[in-house]
Amino acid sequence: MKNRLENSRLWKKIWQHKLFYLFMLPGIVWFFLFSYVPLYGIQVAFRDYTFIGGFTGSPWAGFKYFEQFFNYYQSGDIIRNTVIISLMKLLIGFPMPIILALLLNEVRKIRFKKTIQTLSYLPYFVSWIVVVTLMQRLLTPYGGPVNDVLSMLGADPIQFLNNPTWFYQMIVGSDIWKNIGWNSIIFMAAIAGIDQQLYEAAKMDGAGRFRQMWHITLPGIRNVAIILFILAVGNLMSAGYEQLLLLNGPATASIGSVLDVHAINSGIREGRLSYAAAVGLFQSIIGLILILTVNRIARKVSDVSLF
Amino acid sequence: MKRIWSKGASILLMSAMVGGLLIGCTNTPGTGDGGEGKEGETSYKLKILHNWNGSSGSDNGMTPVEQVIKEKTGVTLEWEYTKGSETEKVNQIFATQNLPDIYTGPAWGGELDGIIKAAKEGQLVDISDKLSNYPNLMKSIAPENVPPALYEKAIDAYDGKKYLLLQNQPATNEDGMDWLYGFYVRKDIAEKLGVDPQSVKTKEDFYNFLKKIKDANLQENGQPVFPLGGFSNGWAVGIGNTMFYSGASYVDKGDGTVEHNFFTKGYEEYTLFYRKLIEEGLLDPETFTQTDPIAKEKINQGRIAILAAHYPAILDASKEYASAHPGSEFVPLGPLERADVEPDRPVDLAIQGNNVTAITKNCKGECVDAALKFLDFMASDEGFMLARYGVEGVHWEMKDGKPVAIQEWFDKFSTDTNMKLRKNEGISIGLESLTGLDRINSAAGGDIWADQERVAAMENARKILRPNGIHVITAYNPGDVITKAPEWEMLKPSMDRMGDAWKEAVFAKSDEAALSIINELREQLRNTGYDQAMKFTNDNLKGKDIVTVQMPN
Repeated sequence: MKNRLENSRLWKKIWQHKLFYLFMLPGIVWFFLFSYVPLYGIQVAFRDYTFIGGFTGSPWAGFKYFEQFFNYYQSGDIIRNTVIISLMKLLIGFPMPIILALLLNEVRKIRFKKTIQTLSYLPYFVSWIVVVTLMQRLLTPYGGPVNDVLSMLGADPIQFLNNPTWFYQMIVGSDIWKNIGWNSIIFMAAIAGIDQQLYEAAKMDGAGRFRQMWHITLPGIRNVAIILFILAVGNLMSAGYEQLLLLNGPATASIGSVLDVHAINSGIREGRLSYAAAVGLFQSIIGLILILTVNRIARKVSDVSLF
Repeated sequence: MKRIWSKGASILLMSAMVGGLLIGCTNTPGTGDGGEGKEGETSYKLKILHNWNGSSGSDNGMTPVEQVIKEKTGVTLEWEYTKGSETEKVNQIFATQNLPDIYTGPAWGGELDGIIKAAKEGQLVDISDKLSNYPNLMKSIAPENVPPALYEKAIDAYDGKKYLLLQNQPATNEDGMDWLYGFYVRKDIAEKLGVDPQSVKTKEDFYNFLKKIKDANLQENGQPVFPLGGFSNGWAVGIGNTMFYSGASYVDKGDGTVEHNFFTKGYEEYTLFYRKLIEEGLLDPETFTQTDPIAKEKINQGRIAILAAHYPAILDASKEYASAHPGSEFVPLGPLERADVEPDRPVDLAIQGNNVTAITKNCKGECVDAALKFLDFMASDEGFMLARYGVEGVHWEMKDGKPVAIQEWFDKFSTDTNMKLRKNEGISIGLESLTGLDRINSAAGGDIWADQERVAAMENARKILRPNGIHVITAYNPGDVITKAPEWEMLKPSMDRMGDAWKEAVFAKSDEAALSIINELREQLRNTGYDQAMKFTNDNLKGKDIVTVQMPN
């Protein structure tokens, strides 16, 4: 009886806010079509995929392709590289948009702030192929402007790309440059939602700008940061396909071969679709376990969690 | 009132977005889909995938050549060209079932494996019962016109059924195309350093010459000149392998059996030689990762002293720089020594068909007949000359029984550096991949559009690089046999790693690290059934003539 009453209240509320729910509809349809419908394709990882049998008619293969992956002589290296690169991106890259949002929040000149914001978003819309081509042109030791400046300063030219010494810097640096602006939007929105009276009160108590940032702004975006961190941890087994495909070369293969590129190469380049699906599923399962674990930890430590 | 408008606008917007999403996810059949390409009483539209990376067609819709094809066969053509990896494209079309009516693409590597897999899995049309009506197609896949191992692997491999057609294998020896792969040096640089390009013969000479170029500290527009470079993704700097082993993928062990060159001592020496070139700055370190435009930009700026590739590619890429800087044209180096062969041995070249064509299951009923009629016409002498020379009476004419270019078009085409003009007429748009046996000399009187300067340069290079002539390989290639071994499915991924492992070894920090990369993969190959697969291959090839010596072509 109680449940029925709650249900009817819920539907009433939904009907009251139907316009807002309508706005959610494209997102729900998108998720259904692109995230839930393809789930039936997971079975390919357990089948010997053939063109004629397709997803549902190919013969079952059990865990054959998972075994193949774990017996592959480089699978350990590939998993290790993926985790290292992802961890670096997470630990170095995750705080960057927060820092940018905090800095932008302190800018008083609106025009300047808007210009910086817009400029920081732009790289997000540039494809990796363009970013990498730009990097190749700018960083080449043979006529690239960066090395020209270095030589003007008396330094030796540096081979930045396809060089293990500079590989992680290039990967993490370009990832931050590309995503910092876009990722800061959500933190900017969270900052905008902080009650202005808190700042007024802090000012009256004699708090300077740094103290206001430390005691009001940062706690104000804490919950959003935790939620985004939990989601980011879920991507730990995914280091970024396009970026690594383009920036990894023969000289950096020992530290730059990652699961995403291995899966795509096996599937598309070598035509081993079941094997690629098994590698992809392995990534997803680890990602899910990580999300569940971190979510649980976050709930215990801070009372903030996804679910 | 305002609220009603606002609500109405919101609902409309939402509907448009959701509707757009759903429509975007639906599959609208194209003109050729389902083989329903009938356009009218006299025309049938066929969708062709020309699976050659970088190929392209006309900007102006139907070309004069395609107009003739329509008149002769009733077929109009809708082209799709591949931009990117051909192997990926093969796998992609069959995995997504976004199929053309006719597939045409490379007759080697992963592309061929993919199309053979498609044939075995019912994705292609069996043409065995119809072939007798199409004599030109029959001829192109007759056993005597296809290399034996390729015939068994790709043509006659389906219990009597036939799915694939082979193209561009030479009809006679005079039709065989020798691409003149080799190392070519800028004439002005060789002269400046006082080195006769023909005096460079051994690997030590080659290394010393590269070192001399490096030590000369040559500059071009303020940039250093690389001693050795290539085209995109390292093509074809690795052709120095023939100085270390016989050049074939499978080499003679001396006991009547063969093994993959990857397991030989020569392969190790070859890897370490290239590692030394990278370490000492003699080989452009960007060559394995650069794109084609960047590679060509370097050549055009005069920043590469020695190029490794086939000669036509080098002549095309360096044309601009050579015409602006007379005397800077690339000339052949060597000929360089060949390992494991007698010095006077003719150059062993695999000149076999480079293209396979198939009708996919997307084409049914009338579509199959239309496709076969079209392909048979293209494989005829008339189709051959139409695809290569253009329309008779418009672009060329017969004089004394030989095709001769019409001067107006010869002049136009000689300045057509990006081939756009030719493509707009219908030449080099992919039809040349469908013309059956290559008979450019024996039946078509030699390439009528050839630039005389280029012909002379090629002839000169041929004299230098082929002092003992050539030997066209007709023997069995173990690479076509090993794919039938039961272990192949497990072994193939490890075999596919060889090229990448070699590049990684070349960039390794030390010789030990380089050999460790090679040895790790050797172990993986053994763990995935290499020894058993090789035994299978050797058993199957017992008593047969096997390819164990080969130069790039």
